[in-house]
Amino acid sequence: MLQFARFTFTRAFLAMFTLILVSFIVFSLMELVPGDCAERYLAFKNTQGSGISLADIEAERIRLGLDQPYLTRWVAWIGNAFVGDFGNSCILRLNIADLLGEKFYISLGICLASLLLAYLIAVPAGILSVVSKSKALNNGIRFTSYLGLAMPNFLLALIIMLFSTIMFGDSLTGLFSAEFRDAPWSTERVADFLSRAWLPVFILGWSATAFALQTVRALMSDEVGKLYVTAAQARGVTGRRLLWRYPARHALGPIINSLGFDLNRIFNELPIVALILTLTDAGALLIDALARSNDQQLAGAIIFLLTASIVALNFITDIILALTDPRVRRSILG
Amino acid sequence: MAIDSVDVGSQTTAADLDVKTKEDYFTASQGQLIWTRFKKNSSAMFGAYVLMTLILAGIFSPFISPYDPNIAGRDKEYMNGAPQFGKFCDDNGCSAIPFLYTQERSRSLATNFRWVTTINEDKRRYITFLPKGWEYTVLRFEVNLPGKALDFVIPGFTFERHLFGASEGKVHIFGTDSSGKDIFSRTLHAINTSLAVGTIGVFIAFFLALFIGGVSGFYGGWIDSVLQMITDAIRTVPAIPLFMALAAFIPDTWSSEERFFFISIILGLIGWPTLARRVRTHLLTERNQEYVLAAQLCGARPGHIIRRHLLPSFTSYIIVDLVISFPYMVLSETALSFIGLGLKDPVNSLGVMLQNVTSADVLLNYQWYFIPVLFFMALVLAFVFVGDGLRDAADPYGDTKK
Repeated sequence: MLQFARFTFTRAFLAMFTLILVSFIVFSLMELVPGDCAERYLAFKNTQGSGISLADIEAERIRLGLDQPYLTRWVAWIGNAFVGDFGNSCILRLNIADLLGEKFYISLGICLASLLLAYLIAVPAGILSVVSKSKALNNGIRFTSYLGLAMPNFLLALIIMLFSTIMFGDSLTGLFSAEFRDAPWSTERVADFLSRAWLPVFILGWSATAFALQTVRALMSDEVGKLYVTAAQARGVTGRRLLWRYPARHALGPIINSLGFDLNRIFNELPIVALILTLTDAGALLIDALARSNDQQLAGAIIFLLTASIVALNFITDIILALTDPRVRRSILG
Repeated sequence: MAIDSVDVGSQTTAADLDVKTKEDYFTASQGQLIWTRFKKNSSAMFGAYVLMTLILAGIFSPFISPYDPNIAGRDKEYMNGAPQFGKFCDDNGCSAIPFLYTQERSRSLATNFRWVTTINEDKRRYITFLPKGWEYTVLRFEVNLPGKALDFVIPGFTFERHLFGASEGKVHIFGTDSSGKDIFSRTLHAINTSLAVGTIGVFIAFFLALFIGGVSGFYGGWIDSVLQMITDAIRTVPAIPLFMALAAFIPDTWSSEERFFFISIILGLIGWPTLARRVRTHLLTERNQEYVLAAQLCGARPGHIIRRHLLPSFTSYIIVDLVISFPYMVLSETALSFIGLGLKDPVNSLGVMLQNVTSADVLLNYQWYFIPVLFFMALVLAFVFVGDGLRDAADPYGDTKK
């Protein structure tokens, strides 16, 4: 038990370290963009008609603490970031935490749902394609998975939108219908959300399924040829029992291990899907912050939160792996 | 007797053949073995043919495309025009050379002074082969370093012949876009650009990966641990948001060439971690293999071991990884340009072409805008098929497993 606690502690420490390193990268990127907050604030004042001088900018810098050394500001930023305070967006002049609000959790929920959908389809389909002797089934699964790799997500989104516009007269865009957009959470709002969220989940899940299918197939076809499977067969274990208890269990480890990077891949595609479906989630905010308004504080906060969720998932999968796989457990305890 | 002798004869030839194939097998080089296995994989071979066609189409795009893909080559008479196909026969008789009808635009009191396009079936325009068209230059290099003495220009060769054209007016086999640019010409140039961005990106990523992975795997110890932590941290950040953050630095004043190189470099700078990790893992496992120990015991020097034993175990692996990572470079470029942070409209890249198809107007009225999407999918699929085929072929135990 003590060793297990130590393992958990080491992993948590490593995750923390990764997060701090990433925050440094993100913070440096934010800093590299020409023009700082002081200039932006005063540029805004300038548009309001009051004249400004260099001394004003300097005074504003001191007021915002921008005259502090780089490392000091980074430590301050990361310290606040860990408790969920990302300061104000210089361009929108709003608190970032208020601005993001539940939007980030909605995005995270959509991504996790896509991940779940991907594995719910990929695990049975992958195992089936390895075990089944049918060539047609195998080629069908392979073809679908290749199509998922090559067909851009936005194209799928467009096709579905076009189809639904013609068939149902509703383009299915957005996350809420007009009457629920700013309403407080209620059963009706949840129902409304779910009736619209399935589309982004499906689109994001589409390519994620293709990737997951490739992983499951590769792992399973490696495992089914091994001697312990033959040995189990020789002992008279057959059918589903054989598959689930022997090769599938072995293949599970690397799959759990790769979950964090799968989430990473889904996050990657979120902004593009958000753009097409005009979702009002964190992905759309990210695009807006980066491509249109050049709002580095907001972009930095979103990238940091995304990375933090991936690191957290990696940490959780490490622990799950240690709990489920006796080999990993032994290597920790022994 | 006669039958017997025939039998014996056929047996010996069969045995000879067997010996010969065995001999071929055992004396074949690594490359020959991979090629033999690759040839057997029909889907990979098909992918390879498609890929070769697309790459050649990209390289020879100025020759194959009938019109300048930029605004200079636009067709003012035929904007948002549907694809035109050559016909061989109609009511007026047949022709060995494909022909098109002439479109005439006119306005008069009868049409309420609006422009009306009519098709004149009696006025045929013929497709011509190797006509003279817009001028293009190949193999032109311009080096523009600070200091006048260092500038030099290799003039290259200028041509103006193209594969095909029309005797009068223009022919657009994939139609035209909203400003009248020929989509066929644009698509070919886009393939060229996207492949070039991908190639530069892959090579930057490749050298970084080889260097960082190599150092990490070769030295091991704490250097390895530190480098792995950094690699993992970069791998954890979602790539496209990171691309976007980096691409946001591009000032609007940059020319399309500068933008192009910056995008390629970004793709390379972010793409290395996966490959670096594989190089490192491979080096770490191979370093302790028995065949390396055997070579050491035979008195081989480290240089010899690296050249003759480690590198051959390695090159096929690396080539496969490069081919597999290529479509992701193309996809990333597309995604970036699609959001509007990558290459922008005057440049013809696949991402820019895909950006044009997103409006509902295009979906409902101008479906030929989707033709570049098909080329894009074919390119990515071809890379995936070839990459998979190479991976299977490069695996020396692939045959014995089945």
